[in-house]
Amino acid sequence: MRNLINFLLKYNYWLLFFLLQAASFLLLFRFNSYQGSVFFTSANYVSGIVYGWTSSVSEYFGLRSLNSDLVRRNVALEIEVERLSKELAHYKADTLAESRLRTNAPGNYRIYDARVINNSIVRTDNYITLDRGTADSIRPEMGVVCGNGVVGIVYKTSAHYSVVLSVLNSKSSISCKIKRTDYFGSLYWDGGSSRYAYVKDMPRHSEFELGDTVITSGHSAVFPEGIPIGVVDDMADSHDGLSYKLKVRLFTDFARLSDVRVISSAGLEERTELEDSALPQKKN
Amino acid sequence: MQAIYRLGWFVGLLLVQVLVLNHIHVGEYATPFLYTYFLLILDADTSRAKMLLWGFLLGLLIDIFGNTPGLNASAATFLALVRNPLLRSQTMRDVADDFTPSVRTMGFSPFARYVVAGVFLHILFLQLLDAFSFARWMPLLWKVLTDTAATLVCVAGVEMMRRKR
Repeated sequence: MRNLINFLLKYNYWLLFFLLQAASFLLLFRFNSYQGSVFFTSANYVSGIVYGWTSSVSEYFGLRSLNSDLVRRNVALEIEVERLSKELAHYKADTLAESRLRTNAPGNYRIYDARVINNSIVRTDNYITLDRGTADSIRPEMGVVCGNGVVGIVYKTSAHYSVVLSVLNSKSSISCKIKRTDYFGSLYWDGGSSRYAYVKDMPRHSEFELGDTVITSGHSAVFPEGIPIGVVDDMADSHDGLSYKLKVRLFTDFARLSDVRVISSAGLEERTELEDSALPQKKN
Repeated sequence: MQAIYRLGWFVGLLLVQVLVLNHIHVGEYATPFLYTYFLLILDADTSRAKMLLWGFLLGLLIDIFGNTPGLNASAATFLALVRNPLLRSQTMRDVADDFTPSVRTMGFSPFARYVVAGVFLHILFLQLLDAFSFARWMPLLWKVLTDTAATLVCVAGVEMMRRKR
């Protein structure tokens, strides 16, 4: 017994070491399942304030507000253009559909401005911190876009800050389609360059060419249809040979992200709830 | 006084790491992890339990700022564990126990060997944990090497600034 106590006293740091490693690994692997884990992210109060300070120092002069307005207009117009051209196509095809379209026109998106205060691009799982939180009506699962294209999906929120699951994250999966031919797949990223992502599950019979634009499909309730994502740069067979895997050059330059918009769709909660109840396990 | 001095290094390196160095990726690879310098220059007679607690705390704070919960905490704790044996392996037997590791107290090449080994082990552990598979081992290896090089450049810079004063 005394030997045991002596042993423990002599090697107590090993015990401490394993204890601390266990705590680290718990954080590392169970991070997602804790409700309160927003405390351990850069969206917590103190780190939010520090990042807020530094990004307000790094803001450059008057260009910011100008840029901000331009991006806002750009995103709003992009959604509008896509909606109107769809509407017009329907109108041309079938005059009766016009009245139906008018009653349930998709216009239920609300757009919030936000500023990126922290960002990373080279890890396997990248996150972005925004300076808006639940107090500004930001909720998890909302889509985030910038002037050029898709940025990610809101992941966790605190009162005044939120963490966004960037497209450059192995856990990210965004429903997308080829703009020209409407074939859809899902966008994911598997590390490597921040300029490229991949579209998988593109059916064998789908039609596309290198250089085609990839946009959001509107199937996932997070993003409205028609937000640009990137350009098809290369193609290959998937591992099982059943579908194509497209390499997409992203429009968004994640290394220079500063002003973004958070998109909230009015029916988001209802739709998510419905889809969750229909599928026992929802993939994204 | 010693405690304030140490706290200054702690906060200073923490802020420099999360606000500046975490955003440096030379060629999308090399990121300096200078914060380990704090652990490397703790007094030689710091007990191993104390080393572990410093390492864990520093790593955890870096993690909270960088959205990598547990990653740096684990790696810094690992470095804290191996630091004392590492330091002992590079010092003469007749040197007193209570010195602060630096070029002045240890001599250039023992200190350099000690820093290179410490930084390399820390980054190797960190990147292995981050990748958690050897599937893409070429980029992983490259990342470890470039990160180590970048960190060593930073450590050399800080050492030189301290020598000048």
